[in-house]
Amino acid sequence: MNAMTAETYEQFAVELPGDQIKMHVKNLEFFYGKHKALHGVTLPILNKGVTALIGPSGCGKSTLLRVMNRIYGLYPGQKAVGEVLLDGENILDHKVDVATLRSRVGMVFQKPTPFPMSIYDNVAFGVRLYEGLSKSEMDVRVEESLRKAALWDEVKDKLKQSGLGLSGGQQQRLCVARGIAVRPEVLLLDEPASALDPLSTAKLEETIVELKKEYTIVIVTHNLQQATRVSDNTGFMFLGRLIEFGPTVDLFTAPRAKRTADYIGGRFG
Amino acid sequence: MSTFRRTRRTIANVSFTVFCYLTTLVALTALALIFWTLFSKGAGGLNANIFLKVTPAAGSVGGLANAIVGSIVLCFLGMVFAIAVGVMAGTWLAEYGRNSLYAQLVRFVNDILLSAPSVLVGLVIAGWLVAPFHGFSAFAGGVALGLIAVPIITRTTEDVLNLQPTALRESGVALGTPKWTAIRLIMWKAAGSGILTGGLLAFARISGETAPLLFTSLGNTNFSLGFNKPWFGLNQPLASLPSAIFSFAATPADDLVRLAWTAALLLAVAVLAANIGARFLTRERRPS
Repeated sequence: MNAMTAETYEQFAVELPGDQIKMHVKNLEFFYGKHKALHGVTLPILNKGVTALIGPSGCGKSTLLRVMNRIYGLYPGQKAVGEVLLDGENILDHKVDVATLRSRVGMVFQKPTPFPMSIYDNVAFGVRLYEGLSKSEMDVRVEESLRKAALWDEVKDKLKQSGLGLSGGQQQRLCVARGIAVRPEVLLLDEPASALDPLSTAKLEETIVELKKEYTIVIVTHNLQQATRVSDNTGFMFLGRLIEFGPTVDLFTAPRAKRTADYIGGRFG
Repeated sequence: MSTFRRTRRTIANVSFTVFCYLTTLVALTALALIFWTLFSKGAGGLNANIFLKVTPAAGSVGGLANAIVGSIVLCFLGMVFAIAVGVMAGTWLAEYGRNSLYAQLVRFVNDILLSAPSVLVGLVIAGWLVAPFHGFSAFAGGVALGLIAVPIITRTTEDVLNLQPTALRESGVALGTPKWTAIRLIMWKAAGSGILTGGLLAFARISGETAPLLFTSLGNTNFSLGFNKPWFGLNQPLASLPSAIFSFAATPADDLVRLAWTAALLLAVAVLAANIGARFLTRERRPS
């Protein structure tokens, strides 16, 4: 793959009506030090829908996701240029308070990361930082979050036990519950099922489909079937560019870019 | 594979294993001998007087009460100082400084402190806290011990924090937690048993330190502490087990030498207990 320039990429993107867009990435460039990882990515995120990001390893899917809640800001040397509009407000603006932003845009990571505390406290953790709920209100919130994450029935009798004692799949759903307990508007999922067995994956996918009624979800996945099962729109990324974006059905049945066709056809990546 | 090669490998394997066992045996024998010596010479002197009476003059009945209390107080002072400084410094290195030039400098200086001879630490603290106040004091002793423990705690804190998965750090922050809050409520908790282990190991190290105390808290044949005294008596020279061992073991008086052995036994048991405690903590609470 030598001598590739931006001109050689054919790119196709479907426009979404403005009132359906929750988050709009516009002409985003991202740098790890001097290395440029994203080259002018423009991507609309459907309000109360699931947007999947697919593409081979190292194509910038996770990088793009990590810009959406500015988690990259933890690392000096990482820099984003461009615009990411959340309800019309550019979150890359220096004036934006990152802690508040992150409470609006939650994130679940590839590996389950339960905090070293009880299941109850895991879910309540984020809520306690932002809301002064009474004990009974908190109980309701914890139950509601665990139910939404399809974990309640499995843990309702052991809420005081450590979250570390759960299985991998349960831990990941605990992380989802923890993420939605703070009632974010957007939920970012970074390969949430890659460390899970098929059964846990199926449960997590059911959870995602259930959650999109209330939340805007962006999911990075290596599993193409998963993208077709859970998402409304899909973006295919390659070498830091968004090659194709459109409704999931269209992208998988009638890809317009040759690279997209090659990738979903299993010819590379 | 030829028979010759297989035989050679078997022999190499067996002899290496035997060698490992032998070296382990040597190390363990040394440890066992130390404890045997301490028990055989020190256990005989153990009686209620040890814990009730102060250090005696030669020929009279006495105990180690003031030295035991002194050691506890000195270690406590040192650990309070060292935990406060060490945990914060280690946290800064792991979570904020990382690979910045200043952090590398701090890490380098910390490593130097880690291997600094304790007698030097004692001398320096004597220069800072003994000479200007015209007198040996428990404060100076505590600070000297603390200074020895600081680099140990800094190092272990940084190491165990670095061992925590990046995703744990990020998921705390991703919930909208300010970084400092995430560190306090999540990272310290996750690394808690490791940090505690570092603290116990540092305690084990300083509890037997003698050299830095000789220039700072010196030693005392009486109870120098008291709630009704100015500064609780911490501005006075303070007795301690290591300084008692140091002064008694060199005397020709048999009873004092026996007392020194008993003091040594107590010290060794305390250090052993701290080490076992550290082991227990890391084993029981290791995150899955």
